[in-house]
Amino acid sequence: MKKKSVGMMVILSLLISMLAACASNNNTPENTAGGKETPSPSAVESKTPAAGKTTVNFWHSMSGNNGEYIDKMIKAYNASQDKVEVIGTFQGNYQETLTKLQQAVPAKTAPDISMLERAFVPLLAEAEVLADLNPLLASTGMSEDDFLPGLLGNVKFNGQLNALPFNRSTPLLHINKTMLDEKGLKIPTTWEELETVANALVIKENGEYKRYGYTMPYASWYPIAMIVQQKGAFFNEEGTGMGFDQEGVAAFEFLKKMQSTGALYYPPAQDSGNIVNGMFASGQVGMMMESTGVIGRHAGVVDFEYVTAYLPMKEQYGAPTGGANLVMFEDSKNKEAAWDFMNWVFNDPQGGQQFILDSGYVPFTKKMVESAEMKAQWEQVPARKVAFEQLAHAIDTNNHAAFAAVDQIFLKATEAIMYDNADIASTLNGFKKEAEALMKE
Amino acid sequence: MNNTTRWDTLRPYVMILPAMLAILCFVIYPVFYLLKLSFYRYNLLNKAKSKFIGLDNYKQLFSKDEFYVALNNTLIYTVTVVLLTIVIALLLALLINRKKTRFNAFLQAGIFTPHIISIVSIALVWMLLMEPNFGILNYVLKTFGLPTSKWLQSSSTSMLSVILVSVWHNVGYYALILLAALQSVPPTIYEAAALDNASRFKTFYKITLPMISPQLFFVLIIMTIGSFKVFDTVRIMTGGGPNNSTSTLVYHIYEYRSNNLGYASATGIILMVIIAILTFVYFRVLANKVHYQ
Repeated sequence: MKKKSVGMMVILSLLISMLAACASNNNTPENTAGGKETPSPSAVESKTPAAGKTTVNFWHSMSGNNGEYIDKMIKAYNASQDKVEVIGTFQGNYQETLTKLQQAVPAKTAPDISMLERAFVPLLAEAEVLADLNPLLASTGMSEDDFLPGLLGNVKFNGQLNALPFNRSTPLLHINKTMLDEKGLKIPTTWEELETVANALVIKENGEYKRYGYTMPYASWYPIAMIVQQKGAFFNEEGTGMGFDQEGVAAFEFLKKMQSTGALYYPPAQDSGNIVNGMFASGQVGMMMESTGVIGRHAGVVDFEYVTAYLPMKEQYGAPTGGANLVMFEDSKNKEAAWDFMNWVFNDPQGGQQFILDSGYVPFTKKMVESAEMKAQWEQVPARKVAFEQLAHAIDTNNHAAFAAVDQIFLKATEAIMYDNADIASTLNGFKKEAEALMKE
Repeated sequence: MNNTTRWDTLRPYVMILPAMLAILCFVIYPVFYLLKLSFYRYNLLNKAKSKFIGLDNYKQLFSKDEFYVALNNTLIYTVTVVLLTIVIALLLALLINRKKTRFNAFLQAGIFTPHIISIVSIALVWMLLMEPNFGILNYVLKTFGLPTSKWLQSSSTSMLSVILVSVWHNVGYYALILLAALQSVPPTIYEAAALDNASRFKTFYKITLPMISPQLFFVLIIMTIGSFKVFDTVRIMTGGGPNNSTSTLVYHIYEYRSNNLGYASATGIILMVIIAILTFVYFRVLANKVHYQ
């Protein structure tokens, strides 16, 4: 009898805990799915804002120094007025932020504003989850014309303005001028000059390369720049397929030719950015095609004369842009408050402008470009000014919802060519077929 | 009276209910949901834009070279890792089992150590060791006048490098399992064999192997399934490259997780089917060879 009652107790408690589990199980999805009033998780975790203030959630991908700069910017905004409290949350790198957004949007827990890598904007725009920023711009007397046209490459979809530039970058030619001067070489401005200079910098000892001429990280950004320089495009204008043919073959043939003589060091895929920047800083390579984002890493740090220049031209100067935009979500309950913050970022000297000055991304509004602070910085670090000037030649041709998927297979083709000497023309043809199938979907 | 009998029939079901509920929620339901997803072109962000496309994902899968490359890589990885690990683990276990010396105790602790270290740290450390220009491995090879290797950075050696790390990581753990098996073999059998003047090879082949076959079988199945699902080393050390040379099935699924959820789901279903078939075949072919005491 006693045994039995103990058993019953155990079973009962199990049942109760199970019921409790079921109950909470049932509740959660309902709450989040229909939860118009439920605050998003990040809001719950953070300190509750002072009474009467509207909370605006802002997800970003900035850590380290840049993370501190963005926190500083948010703090400055929160201190500047008493209606809106912005809560910034670091959500991992661009890809991780995208993954979190992909989960948060259907669960209705997305933030009001998010930083979104430029190439991912079409994906979200196509899913129709982003707010149209045009009316908001107009509400504070702004317009698209206030931004640099080179940075508005893929922000408009289906007649809507779905994103605005924020921390944007563009690839540049980074040069160890001391090394070039030793050999009496001039900074290359064309592909032909680039090849000559890069070959002249090579040092080979006992069959091993001790120094390379030129390098770039492993990414599609750089071959795309080379396609654009030949007046080709990554995607065609109709968005039905690829916009290059012979241009792709020529770009890779050029790289392979340089690779075969040590003029080009093409890094392994894993951690390629750190590898090439390390080599550049330690004088193992003379020139590097890399983002504006690394200027701060070398300017005033390296022990040689460091300069930047336009990417060498083939038929024209050309460079894609990168970095991230700001987007607002259609489901946001606080669009007005969120816009108040964005508007401040775009216009206040303590906002985006200070962030750009701190971080080294390219300025994105005309007002910033004309500001005394920006001009003073350019005076000090001319390498930064080159990045801004090159924006006049910024061309973005990867404007398609399928870019993330196509990018993936483009990198596979790049690997086959650069690491395994696959035949260039047939590899690119295979890539094109697959890419066109992806774009049709 | 009636009550008690009804309770008696119900009781087992009530008892396993909590466990079954958990399995239903976290295993059965996800598997069927995965199956459902594999028939869709699924839009993660806007469910309303998802489209039922029938078997298209599977068609795409079976017409994709990348899938066959990943499958082939997975097979090579699995066969090599399982064989190498079992052979080395068995040799180590036999060595340690021979005598209880201080060296053997040290060896036993030593080979088990990699197992308690996070695979992430292991992968990162091996990446440094394998660096072609400054890594220790190439430095050692060079000092002995041997040809160096590009290890992870060449598509012809990258798979071998990943296999090396996995075997190094696994071998101690499985050696320990086999050692325990060896130590549970009754010494009387060996004494009888010694009386019959059986050769050492014959003793090993006719006595030791059959006696530890249940553990060997266990290790074989666990390792095959584990190797088929290899992910962490690949993710950290090579990212599936260079040129897909280390892309495995699970990594292939991971690569498409956000771009093409339906396709990734279809690949997941195929992976599940392959593992189910393999396990089934193992049980059919090997089960009667396993000697249970």
